[in-house]
Amino acid sequence: MHLLMTASQINGLPVVTLGGDDVAEVRDVIYSPEAGRLVGLTLNKRGFLSGRRRELLPASSVHALGRDAVMVADASCLVLPEDAPEEVAHPGTDRNVVGDDVLTEGGVSLGTVRDLALLVGSTGEVVGYQIDKVGGGEGYIPLPAQLAVSGSTLVVPDTTEEFVRDDLVGLGAAVEEFRSRLGMR
Amino acid sequence: MSESFRQANGRKVVSRASAQELGTVSHLLIDGPYRSVAAVVVGRGRRARLVDWAALSGFGPDAVMVADEGALRTPADAREQAAADGKLELVGRRALTELGNELGIIDDVTFNPRTGALETLRVADRDIDAAALLGSGSFAAVLDKSQESLP
Repeated sequence: MHLLMTASQINGLPVVTLGGDDVAEVRDVIYSPEAGRLVGLTLNKRGFLSGRRRELLPASSVHALGRDAVMVADASCLVLPEDAPEEVAHPGTDRNVVGDDVLTEGGVSLGTVRDLALLVGSTGEVVGYQIDKVGGGEGYIPLPAQLAVSGSTLVVPDTTEEFVRDDLVGLGAAVEEFRSRLGMR
Repeated sequence: MSESFRQANGRKVVSRASAQELGTVSHLLIDGPYRSVAAVVVGRGRRARLVDWAALSGFGPDAVMVADEGALRTPADAREQAAADGKLELVGRRALTELGNELGIIDDVTFNPRTGALETLRVADRDIDAAALLGSGSFAAVLDKSQESLP
């Protein structure tokens, strides 16, 4: 089963303890493009217009990432930046892939990155990107587990071009085939 | 015989010593980890009082019996105060799985009136064994992942 969400769908989700209390909500995702995964979440206070929280939620403390909530064991999973792992507290400034050009190894531009597509479940694996296609319109591309990233461009395998899909459901089905084609599993 | 939270709501609470009605049941506070009723909330708002489950002399079909008025106490901590204010009511609360997916709203909860042990949670026309309940708080009741409905 591949249930995928974009990062913008995760923003605003409540952070809920296994005891059923909502302790924060997601402000934004902290993402490592090299590792292809979520490393943590920045947080807002709960409620409309209630402002930012200093605490961060490292991905290692996420119990599960779901459609309707981010689950944590308890409120102690939220840590101050000074107590958080380096990659969560100080993510590299070139980590923001949104707006980057997507180029194949053969030098074909597929479009620009609009958002991340994450595998929903216990992990925060980023399996694809939502892109604005060169010819107009939006699409979704699957990602290998790792890829070359500079501040402005991502280089993806040539095969990616065959796997551009129109929606998240299509991407979910494409990821596995794409990865098996690359000999990843 | 099972009782349900909906049926119990509004039931009178009577002192065995004086035979006087002390109020009516407004909420049942549950103890998440033990999956049982921890206390009965009598009355609402600032006048709400709690009776610990252990202090009941009986949870009957027509009345909840206590030894005397001394069994009623004021909320002792923030969680009990929230329960007295109706903020922890299980019926009407959303049910989430521990994977962060919503199953629906809890329609009713059944429990054993002798022991207070929760039996089933009725969520979106499904009866879920209370053993799946991991906890319940201000936002949701959390169920273990065995309750995840497969697509």
